[in-house]
Amino acid sequence: MNDPADPFAHDATPRRSSALEQRLGRFIAPLGWLLAALCVVYAWSVVEAPIDRTQGVIQKILYVHPPLAYGAYLGFVVTGVAGLIYLWLRREEFDRLAIAGAEVGVIFCTLMLITGPIWAKGTWGRYWSWDARLTLTLLLWFVYLAYLLLRSFSTGGERTARFAAVYGVLGVILIPLNYFIIEIFGSRSMHPENLERGSLGDGMGWPFLLGNLTLFVAFVYLVTLRWQLEELRAEEAFRLAGEADPMNESALR
Amino acid sequence: MSVAWTILRKDLLGEWRSRDRVLSMLIFSLLMAVAFFFALPDARAEDWVELLPGLLWTAYVFSALLGLNRSLALELENDALSGLALAPGHRGFVFLGKTLANFVLISFVEAVTAAVFALLFGVDLLGAAPALALVVALGTIGIASIGTLLGAMAVRSRFREVLLPILLLPALFPLLAGAVDATRAAVLALPLPFEAIQLLIVIDGIYLVVGFLGFDYILLDE
Repeated sequence: MNDPADPFAHDATPRRSSALEQRLGRFIAPLGWLLAALCVVYAWSVVEAPIDRTQGVIQKILYVHPPLAYGAYLGFVVTGVAGLIYLWLRREEFDRLAIAGAEVGVIFCTLMLITGPIWAKGTWGRYWSWDARLTLTLLLWFVYLAYLLLRSFSTGGERTARFAAVYGVLGVILIPLNYFIIEIFGSRSMHPENLERGSLGDGMGWPFLLGNLTLFVAFVYLVTLRWQLEELRAEEAFRLAGEADPMNESALR
Repeated sequence: MSVAWTILRKDLLGEWRSRDRVLSMLIFSLLMAVAFFFALPDARAEDWVELLPGLLWTAYVFSALLGLNRSLALELENDALSGLALAPGHRGFVFLGKTLANFVLISFVEAVTAAVFALLFGVDLLGAAPALALVVALGTIGIASIGTLLGAMAVRSRFREVLLPILLLPALFPLLAGAVDATRAAVLALPLPFEAIQLLIVIDGIYLVVGFLGFDYILLDE
């Protein structure tokens, strides 16, 4: 049961971080500075953007809401793909990436679910409608909350990783499935069918583009940071395991 | 494949001897019927026909949750899960055996539940029985397959009874949408909606494949 050669053995000694993760650390500080600079420009552009003639100032949620949505979907795809790679290659760093993707995805999704109804109340007159995108997003939010709960309720590091990976893959399968369902059974969408830059008013394109860029960089930054944190935790567990068992020489630096 | 048949026989025999799972699921379904009656005090006789598909599936899903939790918790006693993991061949066949057993038990409970609901709410389901059976069977394959996979995860975590519904329900929503739509058509004696049936078949296929492949990873460390 506890064969050290089997990377899936339940209580195998935690291993050191991979070369990939060690290279990751270099990007964090530059990404942070880039993000800080972008935030300033982004905030300025949103303040300067013209106020919508029909919707008023509430229309400025546009510069936050859709970019959050892209981040949320991206996070969930990262989780599913990283989980799949983990099951395939059985390398722990991809499990750590999956955690990062899910947590950051849930944050983006939550913020999207908060900003959406505020905008909806201001323009459609009610907080919620059961249209395709809203329902799909709500379902995905539940799937990834369940993913995080599964992780925190499961026992044993490696088993948790496997269970979570299977559930994460299921989550990604559910995205097209749910989309298909709502296309058939759902009501008509209140969202615009396509959001091309041409459909935006004068002076709204740039802040929107900046919003997308800034929140994308924020997404990458947060995922990298979270990944790094998980890696440091694994490293520390590895070190403690080495101290607790001095005979295990392979664990000593 | 013989592994799957053996597990199916073992589960059904165990259930036949104790009858505790089916009995608790049935009682729960009955309680749901009473709860629906009190939740919808203004419903008139003709309203129940419209409401029945949704109510039936609500009862089906929640009583299935009870059964699924128990189905895998059973295997924890005497460390039976290790024995299952050691079964010869691909572990996916263990999944198929458990799924089949769950399918049979849930289907039985669903049939009785439908009869009881028809009686209590005064809706004639006899004429609709063949179409209804097809739709319910298609929906139940999906519930049993993904429920068995997720149950095997939930059962080995803390708060297992709480975790299974949280894991399972988001995966059941697409299935429920199709099943309720097709059930409504069956109850109202309309032609079955092709899209919904197609959808149920696709979801069943996906869940069976995901379960078959995923179970290999779930039982790995027993």
